[in-house]
Amino acid sequence: MAPSRRSDIAALVGRRELALAASCLVAIGLFSITAPAFGTPDNMLTILRNSVELLLVGLGMTLLMAMGAIDVSVGVVLGLAAIGVGQVLAAGAPPLAAAVAGPAAGAGLGVVTACVVVLGRIPPIVATLGLFGVFRTAIFVLLGGRWLSGLPTGLTDLLRREVAGLPVTAWIVGAVYLLAWAALRWTPYGPRLLAIGNSEDKARLSDIAIIRWRFATFVISGALCGLAATFYVATYRNVEMTIGSTLALEAIAAVVLGGTALTGGRCSLLGTVLGVILLRIIQNGLLLSGVPSLWQTVVTGGLLLAVVSLEVVTGNTRLSRLVRRPA
Amino acid sequence: MIHHLPATVRHNPVFAVLAGFWVLLGLFVALHQPGLVSATSVTSILQFATILALVSLGQALVIVAGGAGIDLSLGGNVSLSAILGMLAIGAGAPGPALPVLCLAAGAVLGLVNGLLVTRLKIFPLIITLGTFYVYSGLALALTGGAALPGVPDWALPWGRGTLSVLPLPFLTLVVPAFLLAAVILWFSAWGRWIYAMGYNEPAARLVGIPVDPMRIALYTLAGLLAGAAAFVSLAWFGSGRPNMGVNLELESLTAALLGGVAIFGGRGGVLGVLSAVLLLVALKTSMLQLGISPVWQVGAVGLLLILVVLVDRFWTRRS
Repeated sequence: MAPSRRSDIAALVGRRELALAASCLVAIGLFSITAPAFGTPDNMLTILRNSVELLLVGLGMTLLMAMGAIDVSVGVVLGLAAIGVGQVLAAGAPPLAAAVAGPAAGAGLGVVTACVVVLGRIPPIVATLGLFGVFRTAIFVLLGGRWLSGLPTGLTDLLRREVAGLPVTAWIVGAVYLLAWAALRWTPYGPRLLAIGNSEDKARLSDIAIIRWRFATFVISGALCGLAATFYVATYRNVEMTIGSTLALEAIAAVVLGGTALTGGRCSLLGTVLGVILLRIIQNGLLLSGVPSLWQTVVTGGLLLAVVSLEVVTGNTRLSRLVRRPA
Repeated sequence: MIHHLPATVRHNPVFAVLAGFWVLLGLFVALHQPGLVSATSVTSILQFATILALVSLGQALVIVAGGAGIDLSLGGNVSLSAILGMLAIGAGAPGPALPVLCLAAGAVLGLVNGLLVTRLKIFPLIITLGTFYVYSGLALALTGGAALPGVPDWALPWGRGTLSVLPLPFLTLVVPAFLLAAVILWFSAWGRWIYAMGYNEPAARLVGIPVDPMRIALYTLAGLLAGAAAFVSLAWFGSGRPNMGVNLELESLTAALLGGVAIFGGRGGVLGVLSAVLLLVALKTSMLQLGISPVWQVGAVGLLLILVVLVDRFWTRRS
């Protein structure tokens, strides 16, 4: 018997992704009613534009959480890399050099994180909380109490230029996601990552070089934060002291929303993309509906808790694995 | 459990780090700032230590009880409890009720953590990270970022009041809380349950220890202590500020682990935690007196956290 058309689609993209896409549409519909300014094409573009950094940071977080790790310092890593990009720009270097400086600085910070977490064998939450403090101080010290502002427009022009009808930014984000998808699908990286997330002990017994894969994933996540920093600087052309303070929450919320398992072993890139966009739609919609921006953190945190609760209630998370295992 | 304690102390490498830091700090102060060793500076260190001590005690108990226990929301809890207390006063609640309101708010916020952690059986880190943002976000959103004035005058001594050398809040809150916790941990069945469930949760469940109710109680207790810290913060500042608890989750985690609490649970005591709190505060105070900008403090605390866990990791594995 031929399977119905509907289950074909469900098998292709997964039930979670369909639910998320539907939620996005419902949210768009609702906010179009509550806020007249919401439904305009301009605002839709703004939402996509605002999603760029979170898409990149969320991709790194997806890979980390797929192997059962987490990083709460992504926001300050982005901040430090942004300072690097800004200083390269301010020094009068060509925009391309500044663009590369972001991912390079991010990867460097990723190496620091990886050394502490992976080589030091510390629970990622504890290590990255400690690094959060260290990097936060570094941002304060590097900025010296002032904003980095009024940066040259070279990088902005470079990334805004349109190639075949789409801005360079969109091409880069798309390419990064395609690359990650291909790596997960067709190279040993995917199975290894999920095996480690599923059970580190079993992965070790299967002779997987756990240290190498975990190290690489933290460096990749750092590089993605750095790339996000490049886009951040290109868009805002300044770096403020409190940069990235809620980014870790948003990334974790978007990834969990997207269906990546809290315990590792399962991940969805498309889910993360939709999770990021849904989050940004809700934030933008609430803002345009007159909810003060101070409430955004509450809404995002509440969304995270709600999704996590729903996962357990609907039986999507295996309970037995949650005992005695600090992530 | 009492018989095991000396062995626990001997096998805990973190105590060597803690003692080392005390010696270093003592030497440094003796050589560079002999002025720091005075009655007034002891008083001010104890004053600054009060809030961190209360929060760290709760953090330590939650971690010792295991199950990947951690409470990242404590800083947000302190901010929100203080704000809720002040909002209630502003809405016409009688002034003398302020401490009760703060304690109750803190306990309820802690109870929410405990219920979510035990009922949903999700990593405490995800739950409390979520509640951290909700609590601290609420504190900010409810006040619009502004300070709430109007802490009653009678409460102010709990901020800056002293009884000879000892600050009033330290004497009336920290000392009893730590004594009580020590007695419970060492001499009561509850204490043995806490260590047992932290050391081996499946075994603790098998022998009939009420693991989930104990865990809910501990998260609630941590919240209650955060509520007490909120009251002291209010008395200290004389107004409710939405960022009162900022960085407390990082500092309390550092104090708990530097105090010899094992990150995986089942090991640790309250005296080590108190010693670590005092060390952290003394360290921060002497940094300030040296003219080092306060922005270095959060970095120093973060570095210390990583160092302590590294030492624990490598030393424990070798032995």
